[in-house]
Amino acid sequence: MIYNPFPMRVVSKREEAPGVRTLKLEFLKQEDHEFFKTHYRTGMFGLYGIFGEGESTFCVASPETRKEYIECTFRQSGRVTTTLANADAGDIVTFRGPYGNRFPIEEFEGKNLLFIAGGIALPPTRSVIWSCLDHREKYGNVTIVYGARTVADLVYKHELDEWKQRDDVNLVLTVDPGGETPDWQDHVGFVPSVLEKVAPSPENTIAVLCGPPIMIKFTLNALEKLGFSAENVYTTLENRMKCGVGKCGRCNVGSVYICKEGPVFTAAEVQAMPQADL
Amino acid sequence: MTRILLHSRLDDCLAAWRSAGFTVLAPTRRNELTRFDEVQVASDMELDLVLPERTIKDHFFPQTEPLIRYRIKKQAIDTEEMLPPERKRIFFGVRPCDASGLDIDDSLFGWDYRDDYWFRRRDNSVIVTIACTKADDFCMCTSVQLAPDSTKGSDVMLTTLKDGRGWQVVALTDRGKALVETASSILREEPAEAAAASTVPVKFDLERVTAWLAEPSNFESHFWKEISQRCIGCGSCTFLCPTCHCFDIQDEGDTYSGIRRKNWDSCSFAMFTMHTSGHNPRNTQSTRWRQRIMHKFNYYQGKFGVNSCSGCGRCTRQCPVDMGITETLQEISNLPR
Repeated sequence: MIYNPFPMRVVSKREEAPGVRTLKLEFLKQEDHEFFKTHYRTGMFGLYGIFGEGESTFCVASPETRKEYIECTFRQSGRVTTTLANADAGDIVTFRGPYGNRFPIEEFEGKNLLFIAGGIALPPTRSVIWSCLDHREKYGNVTIVYGARTVADLVYKHELDEWKQRDDVNLVLTVDPGGETPDWQDHVGFVPSVLEKVAPSPENTIAVLCGPPIMIKFTLNALEKLGFSAENVYTTLENRMKCGVGKCGRCNVGSVYICKEGPVFTAAEVQAMPQADL
Repeated sequence: MTRILLHSRLDDCLAAWRSAGFTVLAPTRRNELTRFDEVQVASDMELDLVLPERTIKDHFFPQTEPLIRYRIKKQAIDTEEMLPPERKRIFFGVRPCDASGLDIDDSLFGWDYRDDYWFRRRDNSVIVTIACTKADDFCMCTSVQLAPDSTKGSDVMLTTLKDGRGWQVVALTDRGKALVETASSILREEPAEAAAASTVPVKFDLERVTAWLAEPSNFESHFWKEISQRCIGCGSCTFLCPTCHCFDIQDEGDTYSGIRRKNWDSCSFAMFTMHTSGHNPRNTQSTRWRQRIMHKFNYYQGKFGVNSCSGCGRCTRQCPVDMGITETLQEISNLPR
C-alpha cells in the first residue's frame, strides 16, 4: 500500500565531504526490486527512512542504467539524516518510491549536454550524467561544470577523477574564492561566473542545472546571456515532503506539486511558477 | 405519492439497519460538543442543529490514524499495514455541505495513488442526508455553487415534511437504494408535502473571486497581508473543515517497535513547509493564508474541477479571531476592478 516502504540493506557507505554521506542500498525483497527496476527513471526521488525516526526525501543518485542497487547522497542535518548517516553496512533502512517525474533523456539524444551543479546538488545531476555516459554514443559533447564552497566540499571525488581522465567528457571544476587549497589546479570562482568564462555554446545543447536556489537564479541569468532558452534548461526542485504521492498537501509551489508533477522541470516551467512560493 | 419515514418509526428503522449489519452514526451532543457518534435510538440524536460542530470527515480521515505497525529485528523489519476494518456504517442526518465534502475529497485521495485508508471507510459507508430547513449567518453553501438541498455526496436524501411528521425519502445511488430496501416495510407511500429548504443568501461573487485568484500578478498583492493580519495560525479552520485533508506522517515508538501514524496537519502552521536548512517558502502567516485560499479556490479547482469548499461556514463560525473564508472572499469580490 502506498505508505508502506521497502526494506533495504545498507551495502556500503562513503563519506563524500564533511557531513555528506553516500549510502549504497540493496533490496531485501525480490518483488520490491522488480517494482523498482520497472519504474525507476533518472530524476525520480524516494523517501529514505528508518522506522522510529521518520523519512526524508532525496533523489535516487544512481543512474537508470544501474538498477541493481540504490545510491543516495545526503547532508547530515536533522534527525532522520543523522540516523541514516550513522547506519552501518548490514543495517536495515527503508525506501519508498520511486516517485515523481523524470528527465526525458531520450529527447537529449543527438544533442550536446551541459551539466551544471553546485555542492550537494551534484547527486541528482550525477544520476543523469551516468545515465547518459553509460550510453555515451547517443549524445554529443558532454560538459560538466561543478563547483563547491571548498575543495573538501566537492562530492563524488573519485568520480570527478574518473570524468577528468575521460577524453569524451569536459570537466570544469571550481571552488568559491577562498575555498582553494595550495595545490588546486582548477578554477576559483562562483559557478555562474566560471560558466561565463567557459562560455559553452547553446547550439543544439540541453543544460541540466541543479543547485541551491540562489545559484540557480544566477546561473539561469548566465545561461540566458549565453543564448540558452529556458525550454532547453532542466532542473529539479525540492520541498519539504511527507507523503510523496500528492496527498499531504505541503510540497506545492503554486498549483504545482513537486512530488507529482516534478521534481524535474524546465527552467521555463519554474519561471511560470509563483516565485514567492519557492 | 411520496415515500416517507415517520419520526415515530425512526427507532424501528435504526433497528432494521442494525439487523442488516450496519452501525448507525448521527449528530449527538456529548459534553457540550456536537459531533457524529454512534447512536442506538432516535432520542440519542440531535437533529435540530443547523450543523454539528465537528464534521463527518472525522470518521473517514481521523485526527490520528495508524498506518503501519513495525518491529525491527537484527536483519529484517516486520511491518503490518493497519488498514481500517471494513465496517458497514450509516451516517444519518448529514447536512448536504458535509456530504459534499466527502465527494470533494474523493478526488484527492484517489489521485493516481489510491489511499485505501480513506476508501475502505468510504466504500463501506452510506450517507443519509437531511436537507436544511434553517441556516445561520455563517452558512454559505449557496456562495460555492451548493445548496441546502444539494445531493452531492449523498446516497439517500431526506426532506423534512411540511406537517412535521417525518421526512420524504429519496434514494439517490445504488448504495442508497439498497439501504432504503432494508427499511422498506417501515417506510410508507402516501401524499406528503416537503417543507421549504432554508434560504441562504449568497455572500460573495465566486466568479469574481475565481478570476482574481487566477490572475498571476495578484499572487503577490498586498491584499494578502492586509486580510490575514488577525490570523494566529491556530488551525481550527483546517480541523473543522469538511474538505481539508493535509496530514503529517510520524513514527511513534522506539527503535525496536512502534506505529507509523498519519496525523492531521495544517498549512496554517509555521512548520508545515519548513526545510531542514531553515528555508521556509511560507514563512509568514499571510503567505500561509494565501496558500489556504489559493489551494481551495484555484489549485484544487484546476486539478479536480471543483473548489475545495463545501460552504459550511465552520471556519468563520469557530475562528477565535473572527476570520474565515467568507470575509476574505467577500473582500476579494469587492476589490476595485
